[in-house]
Amino acid sequence: MFLQQLINGLTVGSVYALIALGYTMVYGILGLINFAHGEIYMIGAYLGVIFFGIFTLMGLTASNLPLSIILTFILSIVYSSAYGYTIEKIAYRPLRHAPRLSPLITALGVSIFLQNYVMLSQGAKDKVFPSILSGGFTIGNATVSNLQIFIMMTSVVLMIILNLFITRTKLGTAMRATAQDKKMASLLGINVDKVISATFIIGSGLAAAGGMMIAMHYGLINFYMGYVAGLKAFTAAVLGGIGSIRGAMLGGIVLGLVESFGAGYISSEYKDVFAFGILILVLVFKPSGLLGENLQEKV
Amino acid sequence: MPKSSYFKILPVLILIGLTVFGCKKGEEPIANVIKIGTAGPMTGDQSAFGQDQQNGVKLAVEEWNLKGGVLGKKIELVVGDDQHDPKQAVSVANKMVNDGVAGMVGHFNSSCSLPASRIYNEQKIPMITHGSTNPQLTEQNFKGIFRICGRDDQQGKKAAEFVINDLKAKSVAILHDKTTYGQGLADEFRKGVEGEVKVTYHGGLTQGDKDFSAVLTNVKTGNPDLIFFGGIYPEGGLIVKQSRALGIKAPLMSGDGVIGDEFLNIAAADAEGTYATFAPDISKIPSAAGFVRTYTKKHGKPGPYSVYAYVAANILLQGIKDANSTDGGKISEAIHKIKYDGTLGTIEFDEKGDVKLSPYVIWQVKGGKWEQITK
Repeated sequence: MFLQQLINGLTVGSVYALIALGYTMVYGILGLINFAHGEIYMIGAYLGVIFFGIFTLMGLTASNLPLSIILTFILSIVYSSAYGYTIEKIAYRPLRHAPRLSPLITALGVSIFLQNYVMLSQGAKDKVFPSILSGGFTIGNATVSNLQIFIMMTSVVLMIILNLFITRTKLGTAMRATAQDKKMASLLGINVDKVISATFIIGSGLAAAGGMMIAMHYGLINFYMGYVAGLKAFTAAVLGGIGSIRGAMLGGIVLGLVESFGAGYISSEYKDVFAFGILILVLVFKPSGLLGENLQEKV
Repeated sequence: MPKSSYFKILPVLILIGLTVFGCKKGEEPIANVIKIGTAGPMTGDQSAFGQDQQNGVKLAVEEWNLKGGVLGKKIELVVGDDQHDPKQAVSVANKMVNDGVAGMVGHFNSSCSLPASRIYNEQKIPMITHGSTNPQLTEQNFKGIFRICGRDDQQGKKAAEFVINDLKAKSVAILHDKTTYGQGLADEFRKGVEGEVKVTYHGGLTQGDKDFSAVLTNVKTGNPDLIFFGGIYPEGGLIVKQSRALGIKAPLMSGDGVIGDEFLNIAAADAEGTYATFAPDISKIPSAAGFVRTYTKKHGKPGPYSVYAYVAANILLQGIKDANSTDGGKISEAIHKIKYDGTLGTIEFDEKGDVKLSPYVIWQVKGGKWEQITK
């Protein structure tokens, strides 16, 4: 049972971590909580279903399943990134120098808009994602599905790539510089607008990947799935220390495990209570989050 | 999607509606129609049930209007969307009262019908639910609250008897979705199996959640012969799917909330073998053949509750006709006296407003389809 709950928790946790990264990166640079981020996750899942459906109609899934999965991933990540870029350009950029409350309200507006947009265009009913990558194996008395392994592996790979990107590339360095001090970075010749766009594109891509994997895992998506997922991922980001990239990864995993073990060992009826209860505990005892030191740097 | 085109023409309809209303204002009084209302989960994850309901009621209203309406007036249908949220149900109920409906068909979910029934009762508006099975609804001593479906104490008992006598299960795990309906049904089932079958696990989960792996891992440790779930198809479908992924072989049994094609879509191949309690198959009832034909022509294959919504609307309209008035108290009295002979056979209500004779039967998913397996 312990092992099984551990695997369950890690699977959900790694997806929380992927979404949390988008929150934390945007917060790190703009100081804005992008409430529309959960909707990007939802849109990613929908695009996954749509592209996978197109490939099935074309007959590609039957002849070459791995290729069609990879193509679905790439296409919906690209498409969702375009959503993220557009949202930033339309909804946040004009408010760059407005009081902090204004972009926050716009973010909520964008979130409501996207939810209803998807409801009207795709219908209010749940959409079913076909079961792929079925099967699995057992370790001891725990059953691990291939999909769970796939989700964990993909998340880890994406996180490693992100980490390398942030630490080793020029754009990544520019991002960190902008996060530390926007004005100074622009004085040194960094195109801040471009960096911010890149942040939204990367964050959206990660959320879309998470959305698609959840769609594959549970096989059921709907237009309001982004709300709870976004809330949980936001919790994970705050838990790990908002603004800190490693914190978001850790926060996501911790949140997944807490939920899974809480539901398994104490009571499944209070699953969400554990998730948000731990947030309160962290905020009371360590308000900057688990790995939230770099917040001080910012000040 | 028909939904999107509906929304596209909605503003146009509103404009036309305003124009027509504006022209006619001086000429004749507006009270030339009799309004009846129907409310349920029209959007959201349970919208399949809501749409079935709306189509069923609409069909009844259209048929009555073709025959000249009721009391010499045309019938107008007011549709409310409660999104299976009790808070929303209360505001929908208040809106219905303001719209001046003569009677209600619905709500669908017990958790919505209960708070809404108090509002209708205060205003003496009769309400016939086609799907709320929680016993409490008709135990409130309200005069004008009826239901044409069964009750969860009957349903839970039937399920328990089947598990004990036919499946001969030794142990069960019980799950529910913490709603009035789900938890109520799970409790009734537990009452029925207590002492005969070992209950290895009893717990709730959150409606709208997608991940039940944690609770199912607990279920797996108890190694039950059967999992009983009190709830609706979005969670039911995921439970059966995720329990197979965890290597649980025990079949799922549930109530009327999982009946229908949506459950099969969600659970796909894993749905096979799932049991449920529900009313008898209408395709085998001779008097329902006409309904099935007309409904299929207009809205496609009837959902599990389409016919109940249709019959409920018919009884309500018959009640208005018998009462020869739109006064709620008089309609309720008339409905109590009704002996309605129609699509589902003869329907009569007892003094509480429950339907006399509500036989539950067992259904099972066989070859990717729901089939009635007991008499």
